[in-house]
Amino acid sequence: MFPQFGATAETLSKASSMVFRIGTDAHLYDDPEDVNIAPLLDSKFDSEKCEALKRLLALIAQGFDVSNFFPQVVKNVATQSLEVKKLVYLYLLHYAEKRPNEALLSINCFQKDLGDPNALVRAWALRAMAGIRLHVISSLVLVAVGKCARDPSVYVRKSAANALPKLYDLRLEEHTSAIEEIVGILLNDQSPGVVGAAAAAFASICPSNFSLIERNYRRLCEILPDVEEWGQIILIGILLRFVIARHGLVEESIMFSLRSTKSGKSEKNGEATKISNKEDTGYASGNDDFGLGADVSGNIDLELANMVSRCYIEGPDEYLSRLSYANTGPSELNVAQFTSGKSNDDVKILLQCTSPLLWSHNSAVVLAAAGVHWIMAPRENVKKIVKPLLFLLRSSNASKYVVLCNIQVFAKAMPSLFAPHFEDFFICSSDSYQIKTLKLEILSSIVTESAISFVFKEFQDYIRDPDRRFAADTVAAIGLCSQRLPDMATTCLEGLLALTRQEFLSSDFGSVDGEAGVLIQAIMSIQSIIKQDPPSHEKVIIQLIRSLDSVKVPAARAIIIWMVGEYSSLGETIPRTLSTVLKYLAWHFTSEALETKLQILNSIVKVLLCAEGQDIQSFKRVLNYVLELAECDLNYDVRDRARFLRKILSSNLDYQGLEEETNILSPNKDLAYVLSGHIFGGQTKSSPPEPINYRFYLPGSLSQIVLHAAPGYEPLPKPCSLPRVDNVDQGTNGLERARNSDSFDTDETDSLSGSLDEEGASDYGSEHSISGSNVSGGSNETGSASEGDDNTDPLIQISDVGNAFENQHGVSHSGSADLGELISKRALESWLDDQPNSSNTSTSEQSQVRVSTARIFIGDIRHRVKTKSYTLLDPANGNGLKVDYSFSSEVSTISPHLVSVEICFKNCSSEPMSDILLEDEESNKDSNSADQTLVATDSSLTSHNNVPILVPMEEITYLEPGQTAKRIIQLYFH
Amino acid sequence: MLQCIFLLSDSGEVMLEKQLTGHRVDRSICDWFWEQAISQGDSFKLQPVIASPTHYLFQVVREGITFLACTQVEMPPLMAIEFLCRVADVLSDYLGGLNEDVIKDNFVIVYELLDEMIDNGFPLTTEPNILREMIAQPNIVSKVLSVVTGNSSNVSETLPGATASCVPWRTSEPKYANNEVYVDLVEEMDATINRDGALVKCEIYGEVQVNSHLSGLPDLTLSFANPSILDDVRFHPCVRFRPWESHQILSFVPPDGQFKLMSYRVKKLKSTPIYVKPQLTSDAGTCRVNVMVGIRNDPGKTIDSITVQFKLPPCILSADLTSNHGTVNILTNKTCSWSIGRIPKDKAPSMSGTFVLETGLERLHVFPTFQVSFRIMGVALSGLQIDKLDLKNLPNRPYKGFRALTRAGEFEVRS
Repeated sequence: MFPQFGATAETLSKASSMVFRIGTDAHLYDDPEDVNIAPLLDSKFDSEKCEALKRLLALIAQGFDVSNFFPQVVKNVATQSLEVKKLVYLYLLHYAEKRPNEALLSINCFQKDLGDPNALVRAWALRAMAGIRLHVISSLVLVAVGKCARDPSVYVRKSAANALPKLYDLRLEEHTSAIEEIVGILLNDQSPGVVGAAAAAFASICPSNFSLIERNYRRLCEILPDVEEWGQIILIGILLRFVIARHGLVEESIMFSLRSTKSGKSEKNGEATKISNKEDTGYASGNDDFGLGADVSGNIDLELANMVSRCYIEGPDEYLSRLSYANTGPSELNVAQFTSGKSNDDVKILLQCTSPLLWSHNSAVVLAAAGVHWIMAPRENVKKIVKPLLFLLRSSNASKYVVLCNIQVFAKAMPSLFAPHFEDFFICSSDSYQIKTLKLEILSSIVTESAISFVFKEFQDYIRDPDRRFAADTVAAIGLCSQRLPDMATTCLEGLLALTRQEFLSSDFGSVDGEAGVLIQAIMSIQSIIKQDPPSHEKVIIQLIRSLDSVKVPAARAIIIWMVGEYSSLGETIPRTLSTVLKYLAWHFTSEALETKLQILNSIVKVLLCAEGQDIQSFKRVLNYVLELAECDLNYDVRDRARFLRKILSSNLDYQGLEEETNILSPNKDLAYVLSGHIFGGQTKSSPPEPINYRFYLPGSLSQIVLHAAPGYEPLPKPCSLPRVDNVDQGTNGLERARNSDSFDTDETDSLSGSLDEEGASDYGSEHSISGSNVSGGSNETGSASEGDDNTDPLIQISDVGNAFENQHGVSHSGSADLGELISKRALESWLDDQPNSSNTSTSEQSQVRVSTARIFIGDIRHRVKTKSYTLLDPANGNGLKVDYSFSSEVSTISPHLVSVEICFKNCSSEPMSDILLEDEESNKDSNSADQTLVATDSSLTSHNNVPILVPMEEITYLEPGQTAKRIIQLYFH
Repeated sequence: MLQCIFLLSDSGEVMLEKQLTGHRVDRSICDWFWEQAISQGDSFKLQPVIASPTHYLFQVVREGITFLACTQVEMPPLMAIEFLCRVADVLSDYLGGLNEDVIKDNFVIVYELLDEMIDNGFPLTTEPNILREMIAQPNIVSKVLSVVTGNSSNVSETLPGATASCVPWRTSEPKYANNEVYVDLVEEMDATINRDGALVKCEIYGEVQVNSHLSGLPDLTLSFANPSILDDVRFHPCVRFRPWESHQILSFVPPDGQFKLMSYRVKKLKSTPIYVKPQLTSDAGTCRVNVMVGIRNDPGKTIDSITVQFKLPPCILSADLTSNHGTVNILTNKTCSWSIGRIPKDKAPSMSGTFVLETGLERLHVFPTFQVSFRIMGVALSGLQIDKLDLKNLPNRPYKGFRALTRAGEFEVRS
């Protein structure tokens, strides 16, 4: 009606939004390049510089590469304005690694700023300096960090703690001990804020250097509640690891009760179940049926929790792979590795100082504290963690999921813990599908007899939920519940049968996928319940068979028909109905779906094989009829199945007229008969409780959520691996000593990995699964690779080669081959490492020792690991020659002492190049390893303190634009 | 530790990237993420931890903005998620809400905040009070100033004193002419009523919110008349654990301004203030629906903002709903919303109507769940009562205010 009015309103709203945006940086984000940025950067005025930097930041935010402004930006680092400084730092840190040479220009400024009276300036300078990650300046940064670690300002000291992992990340051997020393200083700091950051540094730099913790253990525990929340999360984990390494597990804890059951079965078992029964307030059934039900359920969760504790200590991959070795006896942890939680002060303090953290408002802190109590607390106190954990479910949806994943493990291992709180796992309509399934799973594993009626009432509501996938899951959960509580089987069956009757109505008309899913799931649940005790559920089977007429979903029909074959001789009623049922099936055969047809064929054969008396004749007729139909079927699977059956059953089918002729069958036919009997007649045994193949990772870890060991995941340290000698200055030495005196089968390898730790290999330690010493020579490459997961396959196997071992197995390997393997191991190590050359000097020092102690086998790496390539020469403007190199896994053909390096040349320019050659500069460069970084000089690859013996590459005579050429050079590292 | 944080708009555009460590994460990971999100639909968007081929991703979605953090190594996932939530809280606090425009408009502040909140992948300063002192909040004054003078810095020149103090959450030495402190009990009632009308679950999730404008370094003590009803509690870091353990007293030095002092849970409540009774009867392809709402237990104060919402099951083709009180809306995503407001004295509000089912469907076999929301001012339904609030270390007598509020949380009625 009033178009102009509408238009005005529109402009008005536009204008108002403009007004709203005035004064913000909106225009900078929208059009960052509408002015020339370069002159602004050189401006005298801070405000203009600021604007230019903001424009650059906007470009970074939008994903453009603006590194070409680097030199101009770096100049501005000297500014007095803090805002400009901050923006420069933001820019600098984003690009420093790309432009290392220009970044060096800023170092002087940082050093000047480190002396600034303003603590904020000092902290920022340190952060930026550590963040630019250049090997060349690492020693300068180390000095700066050391200085800042003693700064009067808490904030600066905190920044120093945060800078340490950055420095450590450069993997420079010579700094490691200095870095660890600073970690020690900062852990000893008076301010809780610093301690938190130092804990994070400790965890990422030297998580197994427990001597640093030992000195301060008590103080760290006391300061824990005052540490800021993020530091608490890490510090809790460190303290837990320390206590386990120092004192071992607690004998009153869950971990212990479960562990001991295997050896001292009967007595301990009874005791443990008694305890779990006592705790279990939800258990209505008192001591009457204590004998059977409670014992069984107690047993299962004990076994499971035993597994949990083993997985925590050894890591599930190693534990499970060890299980698959039949000959390796499990290394039982002996009683000496346990300590009494009541008398051990360190354990008591840890539990005391973590229990108030269960009230933290940070979910991660609560979960970490709960993890400590789960592992360390005496059994009767574990329930302390239940309410805080359940309270976490009221936080955001994202954390809800993570918390539920962890509760799931706790609930599986110790159902009685959560059983009284089953209501907390009832489903809200706002829950996501993942959360709903997790809750269902937890519910079905904790439900008790007293709670089951409430839970079933809930389940009935869920089945009517519009999300049919969830409804199907609910039906499956009902099946699981009744497996847990066999007494409820009848009730469950009634409910499920009623459901199947209901569902056909809808599945008939709606033909929605979801409905079919619910129906199939319902029948599967019925099937699993029947399987537990077929004779008592005879009527149910009959009812199902009767419902064949109305069930239309092929998969559901197939299951029912399977039951016809499986339970054909059960009870009295079923055999009598069989002939009618088979005729019905034969009648409908042509209209069935594929899976149902196949199942009909199988079932009729099964029925026939079990049949007795005069029925056999009629069954044979039915089978003949069906086989004839099947042989003309459109589907080749059905035709094949029919032909196979006819062949194998020819004896039965041919002698139609004769009865009781089985005795006089020719041996050949007899064989076929026996065979068919084996194929079809074999009664399925009640399957043993399904092998538990869950993987358990430490509570609160990422690995527990993604269910594989994330890189850097470390299981708990070996109990009591830390010596009880008080004046040990070098943790690793002591570690080795302790292990040598013990009798684990992994001892030697462990001490080896201990020495590897010093080279900084611990960071990716979990990728190497170091197998025990009893794996022998050639079978190594295939052995123990039983896990399907790429991550878990043992990539490198290190076995100790004692002298005796050498005699037995080492004969086939010549010494040089050994050495060759060692070298390729080193090559491997260096490409696993970020900075390939940095650790080499020390490796060469140690290789002498290692030759006598270890043999390293490398499996076929190429299929598992993608070789990482490094840039040797980078065309600066995308124009010129680009050279990448990578360490290939091939062993040199010329000499095992040589390491092959694959070099890839690419011509990025528009003109052809010729005569490209990579050669060894015969210069005696000094051995400053800092010079060997990615600084793109030709000889950086080969510049070592000793001139490498180099097998030069073939010259590339001509390289077209855009063309790529590959060459391999071989060189010898000293 | 975290390697990178991305902020994605609800159309999948990467609005911001902040690299945290030397191990740079290419933004192609976001493309992968968004492809997955599109191909797998909503369930993917609700997955907080995702293992991509190259990285582990953590995602938190707030108001259409996806906060995506990447790591390649083991770290506590809850730490990442909590941190992202904290970032989202701080940003929405700073920018007065979260949406695509507001983040783009203030991208410099977002960068500065992120840089201060996390260092090398480990959280640095997350306390809102201190952040506010380090990085100025955009407000009208600063905007005008920046327009007039052409420059304004939002970066503080000096380090806030609180970073060094033993109460790092408190701004150092604020001064107020009127000292005042307000304590609010804000409760949410979670209830589930099943198909038979029985109360399956009824509990209160409550928060004690404090707004403090007190000079100096005051020391507060808050005690409850009936702390025993609390089922479980969680505290702000300022609360001292010892006094609570021994006497169930909250003793704390408060942060300045608004903060959540504690949250608590009271379980197993016996009744709800209102009832909602849905009835669905279906035959011959249609379904009659009738929903009644009324007061069950008068809490003594007026119940307002009552709404009843439910999602139509997918098998319903059309719905025709009318009510004798309030308005009924059917939104495009098949959500029906009946806003009642207050319950009138003279009649019981009811909504009735018919659904037309999918052709071929005789009867309804899946049933919607009704979500109810309401608000009651002046009452804490859990029955929790504040006994007294003592203030020490203050020059003059402050003004103390108490309020209470209950609203519906996850209040569900199944049909």
